[in-house]
Amino acid sequence: MDVNERDLTQWLSDTELVVCVGAGGVGKTTTAASVALRAAVMGRRVMVLTIDPARRLANSLGLSEFGNEARRIDLSAMPEVKGELWAMMLDSRSTFDGLIDRIAPSEEARQRILDNHIYRHMANTFAGSQDYMATETLYDIVRSGAYDMVVLDTPPVKNALDFLESPGRLINFLDERVLGWFLQPYDASRVFGQRLMLGTSAVVFRLLGYVFGRDFLDDLAEFFQDFQGLYAGFVERHDAVVKLFRSPSTQFVTVCAPSESSLDVAVFFQQELAERGLPRGGVVVNQVHACEGTDHDARRVLADAVARLDGDVEPRALARVLARLGMAHRRLRALAEAESTMTERVREAAKDGGFYQEVPRLDGNVHDLEALHAVGEHLFKPARVL
Amino acid sequence: MSVQSTEGVLAGRLVMVTGKGGTGKTTFAAALALLSAARGRRTLLCEIDNQRPSLTPIFGSEPRFGPQQVRPGLDMCNIEWEPALESFLEGLVPSRRIVKLILGNPIVSKFLDVTPGSQELVELSALGQYVDQYDMVIVDMPASGHAFSLLDITRSAMGLFRSGPVRRRASELRELLTAETTRVAFVALPEEMVVNETLETIQRMRSFELIGGEPVVYLNRATLPTLTDGERELVARLGELELDPAEAEFVRAGRWEDVLEQSTAHSRERLQQGLDLEPVLVGPVAPGRSAREVVQDVAVSLGREVGLTRRDLSWT
Repeated sequence: MDVNERDLTQWLSDTELVVCVGAGGVGKTTTAASVALRAAVMGRRVMVLTIDPARRLANSLGLSEFGNEARRIDLSAMPEVKGELWAMMLDSRSTFDGLIDRIAPSEEARQRILDNHIYRHMANTFAGSQDYMATETLYDIVRSGAYDMVVLDTPPVKNALDFLESPGRLINFLDERVLGWFLQPYDASRVFGQRLMLGTSAVVFRLLGYVFGRDFLDDLAEFFQDFQGLYAGFVERHDAVVKLFRSPSTQFVTVCAPSESSLDVAVFFQQELAERGLPRGGVVVNQVHACEGTDHDARRVLADAVARLDGDVEPRALARVLARLGMAHRRLRALAEAESTMTERVREAAKDGGFYQEVPRLDGNVHDLEALHAVGEHLFKPARVL
Repeated sequence: MSVQSTEGVLAGRLVMVTGKGGTGKTTFAAALALLSAARGRRTLLCEIDNQRPSLTPIFGSEPRFGPQQVRPGLDMCNIEWEPALESFLEGLVPSRRIVKLILGNPIVSKFLDVTPGSQELVELSALGQYVDQYDMVIVDMPASGHAFSLLDITRSAMGLFRSGPVRRRASELRELLTAETTRVAFVALPEEMVVNETLETIQRMRSFELIGGEPVVYLNRATLPTLTDGERELVARLGELELDPAEAEFVRAGRWEDVLEQSTAHSRERLQQGLDLEPVLVGPVAPGRSAREVVQDVAVSLGREVGLTRRDLSWT
């Protein structure tokens, strides 16, 4: 891909949606925030969206926390910034509620759904409902046209690109076949004894009632009845999100760190993206260590420097410091070499799949705008040609 | 301050290992399983519905739903959704034929597949069954956010299923999780955001009273300060000189280690203050070691604390 031969800032201005994917703990959120900040610096109006429940993005942007409302990040400390940076964390409950607001046919239907036992549990507590909702909100934000660019930080996944399938999972739950099967013999009086039970379905249904409890099936029937009319809306939005992911103005960035497990995931994702026909923007390897030189003898290498020191130098302290610097150099060098061997296969996987960029491990943690900007400097240096 | 040690973890019956992504959960779960087996307790090491199991590179074969032995006294398994569901239903419905009938209906399996909470409940239930069959079950859990939702399901399920066998199962599982012998081991790194997530998750678990036993926190890749302030100042003075690139690399390497040491001390303090417990510090392993070697190194390092030697822990 010729993206390696051009400036990544050009890549950035051609992109309307960046989706960062990767395992947990690899600096995905930091990468997402740095990309967004960089685009804002370039004068674009950018939204960075996270479904990360640990509020890491809020931390990086200098906010103690933020929620379902779009928040504008204060960039006044960076006068050179021409654009705007907005951030938002998806909160599944209010996203769900907002979704119901939009698609419920009447106020009465809306209230009934919001009061439903199953709905309340589903939106509130269950694992993965955040994933369900990520793409829903993404769709709204992109459709609103309020931003030039959206950067999506995704949940840490290692098995598959779950969040891409998540609208499918929600729809599965409301699949017309399941609904139809469930509701068809259902009597309007909502009493199970009055269901018209026929053949195997009737047996299976009674068994489900036995296993899950009849109350649950009652709640579920009510839930399905309320959602019956909403299926078409879900499908439409799902299709739109899938189309958006496949659009040429969307770019997937695979983020990893130099650890065996995260590199595994990155290589796997590069293949997954290719197989799904999703646009591969490139691969970012964060937290990379570098160390030059193979002579670890600090006394020899630093002899001149030591001679140039002004003032008193306690010889015992100096000896300890030099021994220590020698060991640190040896360890850092070994780490850098091991990492470079490790990242080979991800470089291979990145070949014909966009850019490949390494970001060195910076001293200290990246939890303010200045540090994010520094990461951006590394991210957007001219990319390596593989 | 409570001192939670590996000794205490090994005395448990169900130990769930979690933490932020990339901290070394799988490594610690496997290392603790080795220690437990070396103590002579029949141990099961589980992961939960991983389509690409993390235990494969460690033990050289893929964990399946049915436990398989990886060394004497140590079995591993992967709680896969479909067989777990089958075994779950078998536990509730007396007849195998009826279970087949339920699972054979494509719409019903789809229904079970997507019903909120059913996956989590079924997976936890499989763990519960194993607890009855082994002396010790160690679980390589998902990352902390998801682990929390998974554990919280017993609470939600009680609200959702108001009668019937599923409710009874949920309440049994809640009892299991809140038993004194059920522990959560958190793997953390000396990094600001990892510590944040550890603090938040443990505080939340405590306030929801999800788990009976006290949590233990492993601060992985920890390095304690070795230089005195005076010596550190000397490094700083060296750094202020005009250095050629080769010289500068040494000062940079020294600073790199210094940052690691400072972060360890800082993280330890935050965990002590935020949770009123003393984290167990575990040093970094040498770079370039394979997944299997890393597990062995960590097991040896934890083993020192509980009187197990490399020889007790060797495995081929």
